[in-house]
Amino acid sequence: MARTKVVVDPITRIEGHLRIEVQQENGRIADAWASSTQFRGIELIMEGRDPRDAWAFTQRICGVCTVVHAVASLRAVEDALDIRIPANANLIRNLVHGMQFVQDHVIHFYHLHALDWVDVVSALQADPAGTARIAKSISPWPNNSETYFREVQDRLKKFVGTGQLGIFANGYWGHPAYKLPPEVNLLAVAHYLEALDWQRDVIRLHTIFGGKNPHPHFVVGGMASAINLDSTATINAERLTDIQDMIKRARRFVHEVYIPDLLAVAGFYKEWAAIGGGTGNYLTVGEFPETDVRDVGSYFLPQGIIVGKNLGEVLPYDHQKVKEYVTSSWYEYPGGDGEGLHPYAGETKAKYTGPPTPWQYLQDESKYSWMKSPRYDEMPMEVGPLARMLVAYASGHDGVQGMVNEVLGRLGVGPAALFSTLGRTAARGIETALIVDRMQTWLDELVDRVRNGDTATFTRDKWSPDTWPAEAEGYGYLDAPRGALGHWIKIRDGKIAKYQCVVPSTWNCSPRDPQGQVGPYEAALKDNHPLVDPARPIEILRTIHSFDPCMACGVHVLDAEGRLVTEVRVQ
Amino acid sequence: MTTSTKPPTIAEAVAAATPEYRWVLLWRWPLRVTHWLSAICIVTLTVTGFYIGKPYFTTWGEASAHYLMGWARFIHFTAAGIVVGAAILRIYWMFAGGRYASWRALLPVKTKDWVNLLKTVQYYMMVKQEEAPRYLGHHPLQQFSYTAIYTLVLIHVVTGFGMYGMSNPGGAIYALFGWVGPAFGGIQNARFWHHVLTWVLVWFIPVHVYLAFRADVMDREGEMSSIFSGGRFVRADVKFEDE
Amino acid sequence: MFYPSSHPWVEGETLGEHLEDRGVSRRDFLAFCAEMSAVLGVGSAMTPKVVEALQQARRPSVIWLQLQECTGCVESVIRTGEPTIGDLVLDVISLDFNHTLMAAAGEAAEAAKHTAMEENRGGYVLLVTGSVPLENDGMYLTIAGRTAREHLEEAAAGAAHIIAVGACAHWGNIQASRPNPTGAVGVSEIVRNKTVVNIAGCPPIADTVTATIVHILTFGRVPALDRDGRPMFAYGKRIHDQCPRRAHFDAGQFVEHFDDEAARQGLCLYRTGCKGPATFSPCPIFQWNTRTSFPIGAGHGCIGCTERGFWDQMTPFYERLPDLAGFGVERRVDMIGGAVAVGVTAGVAAHAVATGIHRTRQRKALPVVEQPAAGKEHDRG
Repeated sequence: MARTKVVVDPITRIEGHLRIEVQQENGRIADAWASSTQFRGIELIMEGRDPRDAWAFTQRICGVCTVVHAVASLRAVEDALDIRIPANANLIRNLVHGMQFVQDHVIHFYHLHALDWVDVVSALQADPAGTARIAKSISPWPNNSETYFREVQDRLKKFVGTGQLGIFANGYWGHPAYKLPPEVNLLAVAHYLEALDWQRDVIRLHTIFGGKNPHPHFVVGGMASAINLDSTATINAERLTDIQDMIKRARRFVHEVYIPDLLAVAGFYKEWAAIGGGTGNYLTVGEFPETDVRDVGSYFLPQGIIVGKNLGEVLPYDHQKVKEYVTSSWYEYPGGDGEGLHPYAGETKAKYTGPPTPWQYLQDESKYSWMKSPRYDEMPMEVGPLARMLVAYASGHDGVQGMVNEVLGRLGVGPAALFSTLGRTAARGIETALIVDRMQTWLDELVDRVRNGDTATFTRDKWSPDTWPAEAEGYGYLDAPRGALGHWIKIRDGKIAKYQCVVPSTWNCSPRDPQGQVGPYEAALKDNHPLVDPARPIEILRTIHSFDPCMACGVHVLDAEGRLVTEVRVQ
Repeated sequence: MTTSTKPPTIAEAVAAATPEYRWVLLWRWPLRVTHWLSAICIVTLTVTGFYIGKPYFTTWGEASAHYLMGWARFIHFTAAGIVVGAAILRIYWMFAGGRYASWRALLPVKTKDWVNLLKTVQYYMMVKQEEAPRYLGHHPLQQFSYTAIYTLVLIHVVTGFGMYGMSNPGGAIYALFGWVGPAFGGIQNARFWHHVLTWVLVWFIPVHVYLAFRADVMDREGEMSSIFSGGRFVRADVKFEDE
Repeated sequence: MFYPSSHPWVEGETLGEHLEDRGVSRRDFLAFCAEMSAVLGVGSAMTPKVVEALQQARRPSVIWLQLQECTGCVESVIRTGEPTIGDLVLDVISLDFNHTLMAAAGEAAEAAKHTAMEENRGGYVLLVTGSVPLENDGMYLTIAGRTAREHLEEAAAGAAHIIAVGACAHWGNIQASRPNPTGAVGVSEIVRNKTVVNIAGCPPIADTVTATIVHILTFGRVPALDRDGRPMFAYGKRIHDQCPRRAHFDAGQFVEHFDDEAARQGLCLYRTGCKGPATFSPCPIFQWNTRTSFPIGAGHGCIGCTERGFWDQMTPFYERLPDLAGFGVERRVDMIGGAVAVGVTAGVAAHAVATGIHRTRQRKALPVVEQPAAGKEHDRG
């Protein structure tokens, strides 16, 4: 049987612009191509700027992961200039980044991912009493009443009755891949709406410490928000109480809504525990330093690498083994397409060689994406919640082992089920629960320090460029909600001489490398993956969404000589 | 020589008594007022301006007990208003103030003036000093530098009002000067030039004062006093380039 | 907490009936309208008109294009408002196309957009986030195999109103900053025959976006705009003139370093490079994330994100003056200026000494005369 070429562009309910092409054969995916179709060139724009401003520039790489590029940049600059931030600043950054994880993962589950599993239209047939029964059996959440679910359902009925379906128009409703009973669909729809309000509330933690969200403000050397219990303009008891209540509400929602829903939905889709595994290599740089970022042992979630699904061994991470290839990307390296460069050396020129618009297919092109192909020790690596949970699990992290085993037990599957589309989605939930609980510990420690008289949030030691060496280079990294993130900076004469980022979605969405190794998205789509109806490619959405793509993050280029612009005009 | 029936002024009396000198009136009061108002205001604007740009000392305690920046800005804006008034007077005087204050004297135009510009530069470099041309009013180098200062002041006024107008986008100043931000490619660029060009004014002051004193000392013809009294005594037998 | 209504919108229902069905009392509704009137700055006299307009409104179609951007503006807008009001605003419009939230993908998504555009031709509101890259024939952003420019021109043609949300759609934002490698421009550079309302900011405050939409629906026209196409009700005043720390500015009380004693007292951030004096934005008044705080409230100066060109204009963020291309001396401008002033003064002094020496030599060269004829040797030369 001939293969059918299928294009899904745009992939919606993600950040940014992603195109997936596959070849379908006998109801399964035979081959896959992931193309990032947007390029912005932010690193190039950063050259010659003040390194203290870098966080704001890199932050604009992504408004969904609004904290992570800022913090990675701060760490890169602080590494280059050997700045050690006060303990309070580290705790505040952990709280801000922690809430980023929690809020982002919940939004991903309900607003970006849920509609792949939940049939909104089917919820119309649900018996609200049945929904309430199910809800009460899995969670003590106070809104679990029949009246409540009936209200949601009535609202939905009338909404559908207007014929103006808005964001729900043209969904793949009624697709046989939807397996949830109407009652569970109704439960999820109700929580879809509730989560919209919940996220708006808890994200205010960013506003208190950073002034706004998206894109809260940071500062090299600590945090700008001073602590003074006796001022109206600073972090005081009122603000701390607000934060405490937010964390409380966040924990309650995660434990009483998100996790029960995740388990309830997953229970109906166990076959997805054998679909969409992919590369089998996992990388995490670890996150949440509890003393100082230089003390890797203090990270709440450990650093490490797993190769070939081998949970028996966690390899150490060495950033010198990271290389980027442009074999399948619309860039040129001085040494040609076979060359791999470390980010410190990465020198790239954009060179579009694809077809003119409108495109038919990109899969026949040798180059098909704006993403580069990062490889670790020549291997493609999956990054993200699954990588973190696997490394922590294999490293013997108590909290992770306990929670993972519990979830596996509740679903009645073994650890092998983790290497899958469902495993990715489950890992995201597990880490959300662990992080939101840990946030309470960080807040308690912050309050303790303030009680003992330590209110420092910023060090001015290396603030002035006069105190900087003429040349410096730094590496800042963190594990963002979507995975391992690295920023490399070179500073010369007080200005940014070179900036390079290797971003989670670049790892995951990377195209083919010189050895023909596909990236994790592509590998997952080829791994035992169904696609029943090419016109309604819901299975593709499930696996791609399980990675939580963030395309704006993944695309970047640097050309130290500024030749990019000329090069492009020559085109 | 005057033929007035009124008793002669001291200047006239002295001129009459020493026929080898004559007294010429160069700068009538509007020009002198313009000069001194501008001088005082530019110094005031510079001092307050640098404070506004970078407040080099701060106050402590209850905010309502202090108004340091407020006063700095108030004085700055008041002085700016006076400079604008002086500039308007000066512009009027370019048309009503006679040959030495005329707009025609803003820049050298004749070929002879250009040659003289070179000679004046040589004079200050102490080369071929005997060939230096003599001017009653401003010699070409002065014309150049003073007109440059007028231009600088104009840029300061425009950028200054551009920034000032932002405090009330509904107001007349903004209506008149709202174009400044976009024209400079952003109000911050206007702020930059407003700040940086102030230093040119600062550099100008010692040069200007020195050269005025120097001329007074070297020529002994009352160059310095002319900006107070309005006129100078000059040798009766010297023919000036701009007579 | 969100309490969904048992009475969602039905065919032909006006907002007034709809609210009554939902158990929103007339009093609540009037309060909402009064609040919206206040947000829009139209005054309480206009409240009855807002009431009338909203009661008769059908859910108009809104198409939201996301171009070269970071999705921060969508994230901002989903943080909008108080529960009832945010909910009402969502119910007032029919969001027919939005990448981040819509269920459909690929062809089905594009089809939903085209259906909405055809059914509402000439009547829909077009929201745009993101800039349009023009270099290299627009290949720096393609969606469904077509360039951003093609998508924008197609959607703009049938739109009744066009709202550029955020700095990217406004003027190109960070990707349009030096050296603008992708040739990014804002919406108004492409759509020249229609008014483009610019909701400035990176990102803008959610309520500014929703209030603009309500204004258009209520009054049938765009709000009054400033020189840069920004609604006056939000961008009519500078941050500086609305800042809670303004009293400290006037008093001359400044933070010099983050976390110094002045910072702990909440004094003015002007010396740390705050761009409030150059930035028109409602941050101090509307505040962020359901009125929680705003950057200055969190101890960090404003970075001027509602102003065109702010990545080049307002940087370095911690300096008062911009870093003009090729200048490179901004940080030390006063040091250099002062040094030159000293140099000039020294030069003047040197010249004076040289003049003295020169003159003495000249005098010695002159023949000695008992009674010099008046002034002869004093002539220049």
